[in-house]
Amino acid sequence: MKNKVLMGLAAIAMVAFLSSCGKYPQTEVDSTNAAIAAAQAAEANVYVPVEFAQLQDSMNVVLANAEAQRSKLIKNFGSVKEELTKTSALANQVTTNAGVKKEEVRKEAETLLNDTKNVIAENGKLIPKLPRGKEGAAVIEQMKADLTTLDASVTDAQGMFEKGAFMDALNKVKAANDKAVSLNKEIKEVLTKARIKF
Amino acid sequence: MGKLLKKLFVILVISAILILALYGMLSIISEPPIDEMVNAQTDLSLARKNEADIYSAKLYYEAKAYYDSAMVTWQKENKKIIFLRNYDKVTFLAGLSVKKALQASENSKAGTTDLEIILDKKIKNLNDIIEEINKVFTSYPLEPEARNRISRGKFLLKESEIAYNKGLFFQADRKITEAESLLKSSYENAYADLESYFKLYPEWKKWIEKTINESKEKRDYAVIVDKYSRKVLVYLNGMKKYEYSAELGKNWVGFKRVSGDRATPEGMYKIIRKFEKSKTIYYKALLLDYPNNEDSARFNADVASGSLPKDAKIGDMIEIHGTGGRGVDWTEGCIAVTDKEMDILFRITKIGTPVTIVGSVHDLQYILNR
Repeated sequence: MKNKVLMGLAAIAMVAFLSSCGKYPQTEVDSTNAAIAAAQAAEANVYVPVEFAQLQDSMNVVLANAEAQRSKLIKNFGSVKEELTKTSALANQVTTNAGVKKEEVRKEAETLLNDTKNVIAENGKLIPKLPRGKEGAAVIEQMKADLTTLDASVTDAQGMFEKGAFMDALNKVKAANDKAVSLNKEIKEVLTKARIKF
Repeated sequence: MGKLLKKLFVILVISAILILALYGMLSIISEPPIDEMVNAQTDLSLARKNEADIYSAKLYYEAKAYYDSAMVTWQKENKKIIFLRNYDKVTFLAGLSVKKALQASENSKAGTTDLEIILDKKIKNLNDIIEEINKVFTSYPLEPEARNRISRGKFLLKESEIAYNKGLFFQADRKITEAESLLKSSYENAYADLESYFKLYPEWKKWIEKTINESKEKRDYAVIVDKYSRKVLVYLNGMKKYEYSAELGKNWVGFKRVSGDRATPEGMYKIIRKFEKSKTIYYKALLLDYPNNEDSARFNADVASGSLPKDAKIGDMIEIHGTGGRGVDWTEGCIAVTDKEMDILFRITKIGTPVTIVGSVHDLQYILNR
């Protein structure tokens, strides 16, 4: 009798153990998916694209492992749950990293926008001082056209910045800055050659 | 004893049947496609690392779609009773995903290399066009819209160079296509305009030869004005003696057509009057016999054809005068030099000295190659 009771208890324990390990970890999957969605909402795909791709790969591997367990007669989702916990933590880390990188890009874009605006303003003041020497007029006309294009480009970049598209703004303003600085250099060289104070 | 043996026999038979049945059932359980799905996942991930999602997007997204379908099918099969599961379709879809992902990877790698080479060539080519524009059209009057297009083209080229250097070839390609369109069309339009203007070169050449010969035969001075180079060339005895910078009317390209068009005429003229002191506001001036017979004939034909209004006037008072040296085309159609140069011109020329005004003393090829 005593043996039968023990056997019964062992059977119940075994069923309980098997059922606890054999249940698909839907809650954990949902929570990890939510963490990945949060990373995407933090624009991790824009600011830390490599990390975000690794995160997606990790999740795909975990989901494949989960399905592999589901295919078995005796299922064990224990390791899948552990992987989901790790992936969830990775997603949170990626979200944090994306935020940090975004702030860095925002600051860089803001600084470069201000620098570029200053150089463009200086160019605007220097162009009228240029000597209208041989072939000067057409060159000045082209410089003015360049300045107008630069101005429009900085306005575009500013618009992107205000919309929160800091990476796009940074890429745009980098080109504008390069061009504005080279134009500034060109103007100053001409003025220095002509011994005109600026 | 006989009963016991019989019972034992029955138990053995039932056990054997159960074992056989279990074996039979286990043998019909499908093997889950774990390796196939892992391979598909690995190859898809590799394809993305090779930027196939950008450079071989069609194949990459096909591979991804097959993988997603395989996953959904796998999930569906897993919901069935274990003995009824069949993973053949999952295996098939995973195989297709692998195939497409590998193709996407290869295409992307090859495509990226090709694109990098193409972009490098395009960037060099467009920088050459910009250099050509700077060389040929610096002093050529282009419309403000043309200058703006060149400027936008140059800026887009800069953006594409930055993207190219970052390895963002797809982005660089988009920018360079826009830059190419702006720069090439601006250059082609400007070049066509210039080429059309230089069709007059054979005529200019004849005028130049006549003028130099006249200087040689009469052993006297003759003046040639080269509008493209902004030069006043002074010949004595058929040999060039002086060369001065000139400033012209703002619309210097082509013939002068009508009074007030701020164009400098083209043709063979002579000095008909010399002004100095209070007679001119431009320090000193040499009045030319514009309009000559050809100018008048051209003007009358334009009025007759209706391309000029009936009350249009041909204009006059085209001079070589002083107060120049401003470095910009500012006259109403006259040719301006500095006062110092004007002193020399005024001294060496006389009434009747030939003044020939041409678009260029050099042909277009020479200008493009110099």
